[in-house]
Amino acid sequence: MQDFLELAVSATASGCIYGLIALAYLLMIRPTGIINFAVGEWAMVAAFGGHLLLYRYEWPYFAGMAAVLALMVVVGWVTERIAVRPLVEKGSAVLAPILALLGVLVITREIISVSFPPDPLPVPFPFGIGRLEFGLVGGSYQSFFIIAVTLAVFAGTWFFFEKTLWGRSFEAVALNRRAAALMGINLSRVTAFSFSGGAAVAGLGGLLVSPNISAHYLMGVPLAIQGFTALVIGGVGRVEGALIGGLLLAFAEQLTIRYAPIPSGFAQGVPLLFLMAFLIVRPAGLLRARA
Amino acid sequence: MRFLGFLACFLLSGSVLSQETIKIGVITDRVGVSKPYSEPATEGVVFGADEINRKGGVLGRKIELLIEDDQSRPDISATLARKLVDQGVVFILSVSLSPATQQQQTVTMEAKTPQMTPMNSADYLTTQLNNPWFWQTGPLGSTQGATLLAHAKAKNFKRVALITDNSDLGQAIAKAFRGALEKAGMQIVADEVVARGATTATPQMQKIRAANPEAMFLAGVLTAENVLIFRAYKELGVKFPIHSSYNLSVPIYETVAKGLVNGITFVDAYDPDKPEVKAFVAAYKKATGKDSQNLHGYGYDGIMLIADAIRRAGSTDKEKIREAMQKTNYAGVMGAKGMRYSFPEGKRAGFDPNGMVVRVYEHDRQGRVLHVGLK
Repeated sequence: MQDFLELAVSATASGCIYGLIALAYLLMIRPTGIINFAVGEWAMVAAFGGHLLLYRYEWPYFAGMAAVLALMVVVGWVTERIAVRPLVEKGSAVLAPILALLGVLVITREIISVSFPPDPLPVPFPFGIGRLEFGLVGGSYQSFFIIAVTLAVFAGTWFFFEKTLWGRSFEAVALNRRAAALMGINLSRVTAFSFSGGAAVAGLGGLLVSPNISAHYLMGVPLAIQGFTALVIGGVGRVEGALIGGLLLAFAEQLTIRYAPIPSGFAQGVPLLFLMAFLIVRPAGLLRARA
Repeated sequence: MRFLGFLACFLLSGSVLSQETIKIGVITDRVGVSKPYSEPATEGVVFGADEINRKGGVLGRKIELLIEDDQSRPDISATLARKLVDQGVVFILSVSLSPATQQQQTVTMEAKTPQMTPMNSADYLTTQLNNPWFWQTGPLGSTQGATLLAHAKAKNFKRVALITDNSDLGQAIAKAFRGALEKAGMQIVADEVVARGATTATPQMQKIRAANPEAMFLAGVLTAENVLIFRAYKELGVKFPIHSSYNLSVPIYETVAKGLVNGITFVDAYDPDKPEVKAFVAAYKKATGKDSQNLHGYGYDGIMLIADAIRRAGSTDKEKIREAMQKTNYAGVMGAKGMRYSFPEGKRAGFDPNGMVVRVYEHDRQGRVLHVGLK
C-alpha cells in the first residue's frame, strides 16, 4: 500500500507537469485554433533561464522564478508578433502559423544548443532534496511543490475564464471569432495574451520539472509530446481537461511500469496506445466544451 | 628568359608540393544526441592535429582536418563520408554515434578509404561487416561489462538488477551486460528501462526495490535519465551498491548529479595516475587554457594513431596506410597503465580487453582506480 501511495505522489507530480504543458497548448488553441508544438521548447528556455539565474547567479528561488516567468511572457508575446500575427493578418490558412511555429521550435532549440555546453545542466530545487511524509503518503519535496503550484495555476486559470470579464471575452472568441469581433473584442489582443499566457504556463512546467530532469537542449520534444497526449485525452474544451488528461496519462504510464507483468521496454508503448484509443473512441477528449 | 620561366615554374610547383597537406576527415556530432561526447572528442582531435603540425607534421606535411557534422544520424553520415572521400581525405575519423559510424563503412569499404573510430563502443562495428578498411580502438561494450563484472565477482552477488535507457547505445550496453551477468551465474531479478524524456524513474526503482537485489548494474548512457535514476535511488532510500557503465566516466555527473553519485563504481578507460595522461592533461591545459577529460583523450589517441600509421606507411597511399594501421602497436592516453593499442590476428578492434579500469566516485569527484582488467 505504501508502495502504491509513494507511486501515486510521483505519478501525480508527473501528471501535473504534463497537465501544465497541455494547458499551455489549450490556452493558445482555444481562442485561435493554432496548435503550437513549440511549447516544449518554451519549457526548455525556462529551464535554461532557471539554470542561469538560480544556479549560476544564485538568485533566491522565487525571485528567479518570477524573472523567468516574466521572460516567458515576453517570449510568448514576441513569438506571436513575429511568427503568428503577420500570417493571420494576411488571412492565411490556420496551417501557416502552425508551420511557422514549428520553425520557431527548431530555431529556439538551435539557439540554446549553440549558446550552452552540450551536457545537461543543473537547476536547483526550491526546498532542496528531501522527503515529506503524511502518514502513509510520502514523496519528495519537489513532488509536493509541483502539485501545489499546478493546482494553484489551474484554479487561477479556471477562475479567470469563468469569473472575469476578460476571461469571458476569451471564451467568446473561442466560440465564434467573427461574432466576438463584432461585439468589440480586440482579437489581436486576445491572441497576444493567449500566447503570452501559454508561454508562461509552459515555462512554469519546464522550470518545475528541470530540477529533476536537468536543463538540456533535447528536453523540449518529449515534453511537447507528453503534453499533447494529455491534451488529446482531456480534450481542448475545458481547462480542467488538461489536468485530468495529464494525470490519467502519468498514472497509466507509471502503473504499467510498476505493476504490469510485461518487460519495462514495452511499457513505453502504453501512452501511445492510450492516445490511439482516445483518438478513435473519443476524439474530442474526455471533457466536452460547455454549450 | 625561358630558363628563368622554367625555374619559376619548378620552384612554384615545388613550394606547392611541400605545402600540400594530408587531409583527414572527421565526422562528428555538433547538434544531435551524441554531442556531449562528440564535442570533447573532436576538441581532442583538433588539439592532437595542432600538436602534430607544431612538431613538423607527418612525412614533412601538415595535417588538415576536414570536419563534418552528421548529427549522429545514419541517414546523413554515409553521404558525408562520400563527400570527404571526394575531397581527397586519406583517413576518416568517426566520433559520432555507433550506428552512424556503421553506415559510413558502406562508403569506406567501397571507396577503399581507411576509417577508424577511437570511441564508439558497439561490438558489431567490426563484426557485422568484413571491412578491412575499418578499425575501432574504443573499449568494446562487452569489455566494459566483463571488466565491471570482474570487479563485482569478488563480492559474490547472486541476485542483481539491471537498468538502462531506451537509446540505441543504452540498449546495446544492456545486452552486453545481460550476457555477461548470466554467464557469471548471477540472476537478473529486475530488468528495467527508463525512456528518454521521462520525468521520473520512481516506478522502475520501486520495482527493483521490490525484487530485492544485492546490487544494481546501470547500462544507461543518457545523462539526464541517469540522474533521474540516482535521484529515485536516493529518494526511495535503497542501499544496494550501483555498478555503472562507462557513461559515468563523463565528468558532467560531478556537477549535475552532485550529492547523488558518491560510492558508485564505474568502468573507465582512463587512469589519472598514468604518465601519458598526466603529460596530456598538462599539454592540453597549456595549449588551450582548459581542463581536459577522458573524452578528449579518445579524440587525441585517434588522430595520433592515424598519424602513427601514416608515418610507418611512409606515404599517403591508402593501401599502405591500411597495412601499417593493421600493424599498430601504440601506447596512448586511454587505457590502463602499460596498455598498448594493437590489432592481433587480423582483428580490427584494438583496445586491449585488459585495458579498462573500475573507479569510484568520492566526494562528488571521480576518484581512484579500484580494479584493472578482466582478472
